[in-house]
Amino acid sequence: MFDSPAADPALPNRFAPVRAAAPLVRFFARRIGLSVLTLLGLVTLAFAMTKFIPGDEAQVAAGPDAGPDQVEAMRARLGLDAPAIVQYLRFIWRLLHGDLGTSIVTYQPVLRDLERVLPSTLELVAITMVLNLVIAIPVATIAAAQGGRGLDALTRIAAAIAAGLPVFWVALMLQFLLGTLARVLPISGQRGFGVTVPNWTGMRTLDALLSGNPSAFLDASLYLVLPAATLALHFSSQLFRALRASLELAAASDFIAPVKAKGASTARILWRHALPNALPPVITLAGTQIADMLGAAVLVEAVFARQGVGAYLANAVAQKDTFAVIGTVLFVGAMVCVVNLLVDAILLATDPRLRAAELARGGRQ
Amino acid sequence: MMARPHLSLGDATVFVLVALILAAAVFGNLLAPEATFSSDIGNAFLPPDAQHWLGTDSQGRDVLWRVIAGAAPSLLSSMLVVTIYSLIGVVVATLATVVPRWLDEGLMRGTEIGLALPGVIVAMGFASAMGPSLASAVIAMSITGWPITARLLRSITRQTMVAPYVQGAQVMGVSRFRLMTRHVLPNSLDVLIIKWSGDVSITILVLGGLSFVGVGAQPPSAEWGAMISDARSYVSTAWWTAAAPGAAIALTAVSFSLLGDILQRRLGGAGASGGARS
Amino acid sequence: MKPLLEVRALTIDVPKGEGWMRVVDGVDFSIGAGERVALVGESGSGKSMTARALMRLDDALRIGGAIRFAGEEVLGCTEAEMRALRGSGIGMVFQDPMASLDPFMRVGDQVAEVLRIRGVGRAEAHARAVAILAELGVRDAASRSGAYPHEFSGGMRQRVVLAMALVAGPKLLVADEPTTALDARIQQQVLDLIDDAAADRGLGVLLITHNLGIVAGFADRVLVMYSGRIVEEGPVEQIFAAPAHPYTRGLIAAVPRADMRVDRLPPIDGAPPSPARRPSGCAFHPRCPVRLPVCVMTAPQLRPSGGGSVACHLAAAEEAMA
Ligand SMILES: Nc1ncnc2c1ncn2[C@@H]1O[C@H](COP(=O)(O)OP(=O)(O)OP(=O)(O)O)[C@@H](O)[C@H]1O
Ligand code: SF4
Ligand SMILES: [Mg+2]
Repeated sequence: MFDSPAADPALPNRFAPVRAAAPLVRFFARRIGLSVLTLLGLVTLAFAMTKFIPGDEAQVAAGPDAGPDQVEAMRARLGLDAPAIVQYLRFIWRLLHGDLGTSIVTYQPVLRDLERVLPSTLELVAITMVLNLVIAIPVATIAAAQGGRGLDALTRIAAAIAAGLPVFWVALMLQFLLGTLARVLPISGQRGFGVTVPNWTGMRTLDALLSGNPSAFLDASLYLVLPAATLALHFSSQLFRALRASLELAAASDFIAPVKAKGASTARILWRHALPNALPPVITLAGTQIADMLGAAVLVEAVFARQGVGAYLANAVAQKDTFAVIGTVLFVGAMVCVVNLLVDAILLATDPRLRAAELARGGRQ
Repeated sequence: MMARPHLSLGDATVFVLVALILAAAVFGNLLAPEATFSSDIGNAFLPPDAQHWLGTDSQGRDVLWRVIAGAAPSLLSSMLVVTIYSLIGVVVATLATVVPRWLDEGLMRGTEIGLALPGVIVAMGFASAMGPSLASAVIAMSITGWPITARLLRSITRQTMVAPYVQGAQVMGVSRFRLMTRHVLPNSLDVLIIKWSGDVSITILVLGGLSFVGVGAQPPSAEWGAMISDARSYVSTAWWTAAAPGAAIALTAVSFSLLGDILQRRLGGAGASGGARS
Repeated sequence: MKPLLEVRALTIDVPKGEGWMRVVDGVDFSIGAGERVALVGESGSGKSMTARALMRLDDALRIGGAIRFAGEEVLGCTEAEMRALRGSGIGMVFQDPMASLDPFMRVGDQVAEVLRIRGVGRAEAHARAVAILAELGVRDAASRSGAYPHEFSGGMRQRVVLAMALVAGPKLLVADEPTTALDARIQQQVLDLIDDAAADRGLGVLLITHNLGIVAGFADRVLVMYSGRIVEEGPVEQIFAAPAHPYTRGLIAAVPRADMRVDRLPPIDGAPPSPARRPSGCAFHPRCPVRLPVCVMTAPQLRPSGGGSVACHLAAAEEAMA
């Protein structure tokens, strides 16, 4: 009780950011290390896929129309005569040089093809994720306030059903009901006839906004409605269910009674206390949902004829363009690794306990 | 001495639905008339009526019978997928529990890597490379699905291996493997069953999706995803050909997901915490 | 003058299966303004249930009887009136400081929240939160108020919880085993803190504990609870000098005392009953060393004895003979 509080707070605080940074660097170094391992695992799986191909791998890589010379050229290029381990190392070597193989349909390097279709998919996934969060979080929290009655019971049943609807079927049915029968929304493609925007980001909504073209923005947005709604229906009902369960746990924690004893309303208890505590597992889920969204984009883009990574993959599958398929798998897997890193960063920024645990861990090493 | 929660109407409905779907999967093919599998172009695209409750498809086949016959390839293969990868998960978790720590670390790191990958896309890659077929899809999903189960089970064994009775048994010289197979795994069975049920629900959606894009079951299979894929071109003129198999997938997925919820409610509390309280 | 808090025939039922289980069974007591009352009893006797019922913290419970606080009937309050009462009428400190703070909110905000709920502006609420944290012995309160609960030790967290309970100026402080979860060394500090803060503010205090050792220096009056009922009540000196109920005697005997070299009396054998299987007659009879035949059949009523009251057939008989 006799210490002078004036002197000591300044010193440690002035150096605190510097000292705090080192564990963060270690945290991300570890995470990036894990990502590299994951990528290596992915590459190994992709290599394994090439070995699962029945028949002549060189023939498949060169395409069904390729003549014997072309097949032999491909065999040499892929080094298929070498031992498996050498092939594996060469496979990695080619990947490190950005060579994801060549499409037998477009005759383009797969990476070039993917760069072209990537923005459209990013646009779709981004909109879907926004809808996903904007729907699931408020609905789950409002429902939780009803504690099993009314809206809570209703949304639980609705979400259980929505999560069980096959995405590609919902896409087809929405296309039929809203596009064909009601004719209220565009059902196929991603832009109206004659609507042009500069190709800056490749995302049409963004390009329309940046170039100050509201009608093109509306056009691009309308084409996004059905695909994004289809995906958001599935993923937000999944996220809703997870958040509802997580909120239930958080609302049963011991610190809730003290909050209530302060005179807090049910709404405040839920939004200000239960929700932040309930979010971390939900953020983790939302991160893994991105991988699933990319998987579901294959179906939705195929149905709505959007030129995205998913449609490219679906098309490659249909054309038996196996090396384009494997290249796309690698590409999407790498994207997912980056997303995982981002999710880790978000978790670290939002969860003070995790931050403390990581700092403590860094301190011990 | 805990009284069983009595059977509510909702729970009973779910049990009946699951039983009916299973019955369709087992007996559907035997009961379906010959015409379900052969084409009769003259009768193509008949809308639903008294004779064909759900209409006919592009080959003039009765859609209702095809949906019933499709339960086998759709549901049984999903159940097979989940069963295989659950077993792989059990093996991985068991190994991780009984082997030396460094190997445990390695196995779980591998599991984490598996978790970090986009499972559906990787499965699509494998199925496509192996040549599209229902078997390819089943194999691909089986080899990509296990990491979540493995991690879940490992986290349970990590807890139960330090429980007093297990520690006591270890002191008595009971091997970790024996403890695992005799005590820990049987105690985790309800968790596995709950997860199995929920996973079947998800798998039937994914498997349908794989068939829909062409890496799973191929026409003329009555597998539901393949049926929808086949019906896709005719949706605007014969919506029932796509609506019916999709509704079948939805009904099955929702039923198994609700079954998982019910099992969780009925088994969850008692099994998972080992009846430590009261 | 009316007491600050008056509890009459309080019953609390918890839902159990299809029906209800009675965990608090007809409790009467009152607390005057500025009075210190200790509620003691073994684990499971219903102390926390009683305390939480004063603020109606649990919606799932069925509460019967009457709870009058500052002239108002708590059980008749609307939810809005309850929110006003919680925090500014009655403040509460909970047993486990590790678990009673929101891990995701800065401690200063958690204290200030009590005021923010009542419409106090952000800056003023924060200033008052820092001031009360400082008063309760949190060093560098201004900077520490920006920290999260996990950055605090148990004793420091309990100061934060106490600040939350006091910051809106309640008239009654309910402290449910505020020191049980703390290091022995910290326990006295926190107790002294509650003592000082309550004295400065002239607060009524309901201190719940199963440790009679901390009661003597703190409370004016003691309530002894057993299996959902008050079995003895009286001024603290009387309870320690001349406990009338065999259960109270057992509790006091179990207190380790530095000034007692001779063999301690044996503590009470057996365990308290679960509310689901409360014994017939006097609930204490299976463990009572001086049980009478009548104790198995009929429950003793709480009747005046000395300066307090006691519910025991033997005590009543002794009194009648004296
Ligand atoms: N949520 C609940 N549901 C059912 N029974 C409960 C619940 N909470 C407490 N009980 C029971 O009510 C009785 C009284 O519990 P209470 O917490 O009031 O005891 P206590 O005197 O505070 O004990 P402790 O010293 O352990 O805190 C106990 O038998 C307990 O098992
Ligand atoms: S009533 Fe009887 S059993 Fe109960 S405490 Fe008194 S003497 Fe003991
Ligand atoms: Mg208690």
